[in-house]
Parts: sequence; structure tokens; C-alpha cells
Amino acid sequence: MKEIITIYEPDNSLKKGYLSIFSQIFIELKQNRWLTYQLFKRDFLSTYKQSFFGVMWAIILPLVSIGIFIVLNRSGILNIGDIGAPYSIYALLGMAFWQFFSTGLVACSNSLVNAGPMILKINFSKKSLVIAAAAKAIVPFIIQIMMVGVLFVGYGMAPNIMSLLIPIFVIPLILFTIGLGFFASLLNGVMRDIGNIISIFLTFMMFLTPVLYGKPRIGVLATLTKYNPLYYLVSVPRNLVLKGVILEWEGFLIVCLISVILFLGCLYAFHLTETRVAERI
Amino acid sequence: MHSILLKQELLSESEMDNETVINVEHVSKKYCKSLKKSMYYGAMDIGRNMLGLSSKSERLRNSEFWALNDISFEVKKGETLGIIGPNGSGKTTLLKLLNGIYWPDKGRITIKGGVGGLIELGAGFHPLLSGKENIYINAAILGMKKNEVDEKLDSILEFADIGDFINSPVRYYSSGMFVRLGFSIVVHSEPDIFLFDEVLAVGDIQFQTKCFRKLTDFKEMGKTIIIVTHDMQNIQKHTERVILLNRGSMCLLDTPKNATNKYLELMSGLHKVINTSDTGFTENTSEELLVNSKKQNKIGFGEDQCAERNNYNKNEFRYGSGSVQIVDFELLDDQRREISSVKSMDVVIFRTKVRFYRTVKKPIFGLIIKTKDGIELYGKNTLLDEANIKSHQEGSEVFVEYRINFNLQPGDYFLSAGIVEETSDGLLPLDRRHDLVHISVTPTDRSFGIVNMNTSMEVYNVVKE
Repeated sequence: MKEIITIYEPDNSLKKGYLSIFSQIFIELKQNRWLTYQLFKRDFLSTYKQSFFGVMWAIILPLVSIGIFIVLNRSGILNIGDIGAPYSIYALLGMAFWQFFSTGLVACSNSLVNAGPMILKINFSKKSLVIAAAAKAIVPFIIQIMMVGVLFVGYGMAPNIMSLLIPIFVIPLILFTIGLGFFASLLNGVMRDIGNIISIFLTFMMFLTPVLYGKPRIGVLATLTKYNPLYYLVSVPRNLVLKGVILEWEGFLIVCLISVILFLGCLYAFHLTETRVAERI
Repeated sequence: MHSILLKQELLSESEMDNETVINVEHVSKKYCKSLKKSMYYGAMDIGRNMLGLSSKSERLRNSEFWALNDISFEVKKGETLGIIGPNGSGKTTLLKLLNGIYWPDKGRITIKGGVGGLIELGAGFHPLLSGKENIYINAAILGMKKNEVDEKLDSILEFADIGDFINSPVRYYSSGMFVRLGFSIVVHSEPDIFLFDEVLAVGDIQFQTKCFRKLTDFKEMGKTIIIVTHDMQNIQKHTERVILLNRGSMCLLDTPKNATNKYLELMSGLHKVINTSDTGFTENTSEELLVNSKKQNKIGFGEDQCAERNNYNKNEFRYGSGSVQIVDFELLDDQRREISSVKSMDVVIFRTKVRFYRTVKKPIFGLIIKTKDGIELYGKNTLLDEANIKSHQEGSEVFVEYRINFNLQPGDYFLSAGIVEETSDGLLPLDRRHDLVHISVTPTDRSFGIVNMNTSMEVYNVVKE
């Protein structure tokens, strides 16, 4: 008889060995593609169903931030620095990448908590929940990128041909976001403080990362930027669009490696503990 | 520890060759009473698991307790198992463990085949999305594939029977529609093992009938079913074996009839007795365990003539405070002659003699007639009758006479009699004697069913005008 035998016991995964866990994880992810898509659809449809502006909110927020920066710049309070491109394009493009990270991370960290009642009633792959939450960030990202396209037309400029490589160059950003997302969703499931910590962290990081201003050359911020993985994840694809070159190869490669390790490590940790979290939610 | 594990592995592998589909071995599950501590423990466990260390779940930490303790049982393919128990006895936790929503902290659960849980119908429905959208999403969560859902969509809609509303947001559904849709999706996910948690109690009569018909279908298809319910009638009707849980421990695994009797006794919660019954669960020394009917003399049931009577059922099931007692009974026909069996449609006078060992202001007398499978056919008491029974003094004796029209088909029936006191805190059982009298009904006419409706028939020609 071809029937699946499932065994539940404490520390189930630990007894099976590390490598087989990874193959298990990927089989599970593959089997649950449709589930992930359905969960994404559920989230996406429900977010915008009872809203007048709907998905347009994806544009409104970055435009407001950019507007404030323009005002600060014109008043001479803030020095945006040398960016070598029209500021609005530079800023909106940066915001697109940044917001993918920030909305993705927030959505992931809340994914288990929001689905709490469902998790307590039905047994399904919680990884799909987190991935679906991250996928939610893709829609505003695409809209923002389209908006950038409009701006290019408005300025009578053309983006560099290398822009076509963007889908490849955002992969590290995606892995970084989902990796942290797995971790944050677990912790948030147990301690709700994590949600607050993340929103404070994101506000700080947005100002500390050269998203809306150019790379600082001197001072503390210059040092911080050098060791800020998010800087590379945002600025490398942006430079690709604006200039068609990659300026900081070494940094970017290191950050890529960090992203992959972070993703795999957090996915692994999530797999080992997802059921444990269910009972604490 | 390791050798034990190995042994269990061998054991379960050999057992799984048979028809066993669920094997629960010494399973325990702990919960934490304090939210803050739970948070802290959760973070620690997760930390340990991430580092690849065991979470040492078999130990209790401060303010943790065992919600389920050392549960072991097996379920064979095609069997229907009931789980009953008072609130907080761990029934839902056990279902969640079987469904894999929680992990056991000790022991091991082995399951062959897919499990479908009806722990809450419509769990995961999004109120803003339409019924149809929710079908796809819910089906995906329940583990169905896209083509499966496409194929079964019509059948799901038909069973749910919600008509045009299928394209409206489920927020606008009546609770009945909501539940019907949820049930329909789960039913169509066609798992090998069904877990029902009280869900059969919702919805209107029509829906309930539909549910039970489906349940019967599943049984015929050879699916394994586990039902958690408080409804003793359903347990009697639908299950083959029943687990009685109390405070996280397994009191009993027995026939539905025995288990429900024990449950009723447990619910009366009056006796603190140590049980050494013949069911084999001698380890349970929980204070509130049950009275064994053979030891009842010790808790103050006095001289009892009932046992001398011909129709006395020695497997009766008795509980109550004992301050008022049924000390004797008689079965009489309408000429007041003593009888031991009754003909279908006859009138039977069931007379009990009741002795008051203390003054009772508001006594209630009642009777229940059950089939031999424990299904209640009829019940009546003086409270329902609004017959205000006067207060009775300590030391007084009364006869309580029930005049019963025995409109039942031939077969074996049980009469239960009881006395309850109405107090400001509710009803206090004084002496309840379930299945006290065994009575056989002999045939008068030839008909079938449970009741004798005494139908006359006539066949005559249609007269053309």
C-alpha cells in the first residue's frame, strides 16, 4: 500500500540529520507552490479590497517621503550629495528597492501572528505563509519601477540597457528579506515586541542607509555605510539602472554571500521550530 | 532512552503492517499557565532547536503542567473512535496532536495516511473574499491541488448549497452558510482519517442530518473517523470505541455505553473514590475517579431491595449523594399484578420506593427509557411536568409510580430512575440509578422499527363516480 507514514515526536527533525532536512525543506516548498500562491492571493486581494486607492498606496508613501527630502534639500537643511541623476528618479528608484525590503520584512514578521487562528486549526506549511507575505511586497515594487519608467520619459532620458539585469540583481535583496523575515516571524510569534522593534529598526535604517541621499564620503555615516549590507543591496541595482555599472563589486559579492547564508540558515531554523511556534502564538 | 526508542520503532513498524492507521504511544503534552513565562520558554526552546539541541521537552518547568499525560491507544483502519470528557480534559489538544498542529512533548504518534481535521469549520476564510475565492484558498490550505479543486468545485458548491451567495464576500454569509461551505470543502479534501471536533453540533437540523449521512458514507468507504463531542447520543450511535479523558489522563477506553456511563458519573463529580475497576486502568488514582458500582455500599447506599427483584439489572450504574435512595421497585400491569415482561402496547406501572435520609425541600423524580445500545428513547421528570412535589421530611418513605404506555417494538429495554434535588446552585443528584431495570418487550403484532405506532391498515377499491 502506498501510504504516507507520518511520525510526530519531540525533536523530530533532529534525529534525521542536517542534510536530509534541507532536501525535505525544498520538497515541501515545491509541493506547496500552489498553496503559497493562494495565500499570496488571499493577502493581496484582502488588503486592497476595501480600500479606495487600493494598490496606489504603494506610490503615495514613497512620494511623500521624497517630497519631504526635496523640501529639506531646497531649504539647504540637507545635502543630498552628488548623485549624478535627476533626484526624483534617484530617490524613487532607491525607495523601490528599500521599500521592497521594509514592507517585505514587516509583512513577513506579521505573517504567523496574523494567521494565528488558522495555524491553530489547520496543519499546513507555515513557510508558505512567510513567502507569500514577502511576495506581497513585489506588487508595490513593480508599480514603483513603472513609475520610475514614467519619470525617465518625463525627463526625456532612457535608462541604461543594463537595467534588464535588474531581476537578477534583486535576488540577493529578496533572499535577504525573506531570510530575515523567517527569523522575525518566528520571534514575533513568540514575543510581540519584535514587531515594534522591527518598525523602529526600519525607520532608523532608512535614514542611515543612503536611499534618499548620495553616499556620504566622510564621517561616521561613511563608515556605517561601508558596513551596511542594505546599502549594497539598494545602490548596486540602482547604479545599474542609472549608470549601467557596478561600482562596488567586492562589497556586493560579500553581501550576496551573506544573503544566501542568511536565507538558508533562517529557513533551516524556521523548519525546525515552526510547529513549536504554533503553540505559543 | 535510546534503546527504548529503537524498540518502539521496531514495534510500530511491525504494527503498521496491520490495519493500524493511528498509533499513539505514551504521548504527553504540556502547556504553560503564565503568558510571560510561555514567551520566555518559547524563545528558549526555539533557540535550542535552532542550535540543533534538544528542547528537553520531557521536563516540566515552573508553571507548566501536563495538559495530556501518557496517552496510548491505537486506531484500526475503518474504525470510528469517540473522545469524550469534561471541558479542559484535553480532547481538543489530543486532536491537534493527531493533526500535527502541535508536537507531543513526550512519546510518539504514528499516522498512516492523510489526516483531515474539522477542528473549526471555515477556519482561514477571509471575510472580505467571496465564497468561491475562499474555496480555492481553503482547499489549498487543506492540502488539495489546483486540478483537484477545479474538478470538485461543482460538487463542493452543491453540497454547501449556498446558491447565488457564492460570489459574495463570506462576511455576508449567515453562520449556517459559513459552516456549510467550510464542511463541504473539508469533506471534499478526502483524507483517509477524519477528525471531527464538535463540528457536528452546529447548523440546523437539515445540515446536521446531511453531516451524519456523510459520516455514515465515510464509514462505509472504510475511512477512519475520530469524533470529539459532548453529545452522548451521537457517541452511542456512531462510534465503536470511546476514550474518556479527564484532566489530561485517559480514564477509559471502552464501548460507547460504558464510557458514557462513566462520563455521566464523572460529571456528577460527587465522589472521591479510588477506582480499581475491571477495565484495566488501575493507574489512574485521580481523586475524582469513578465509583465502582460494586463498592457503593461504602459510600452510604443502605438496604437495597432492588437487587432481589427479577428485573434488576446487576450492571446498573448508580451515583448520587445517597441522602435519598431508591430502595425498591416493582413492575405491575394495569390490574396491579406483578409482571416481569411486557407485551408491546401494554401499560406498565413502574413503582419505586424512595427513602429520605434527610429533609429535601424540592425533590425531582424522573425516569428514562433506553434501548440496550444506550439510546435514550424517552425521559420524563416532575420538573418537566411542572408537578410541584412537596418537601419531604427526614425518615419518610414514598412510592413514586410511573404509568408507562409501552409502545415499543419487541426487544430489550432499560429503565432508569432518579431523584435530584433542586437547589439554588443547580441540580444535585441524590440517587440516580441508570439502567436499573431490564425489561423485555414481547410482540403483539408483526411490525418493525423501534416504536410501535399501532398502525391499522385498510385496502379498498377506488369507487368511480
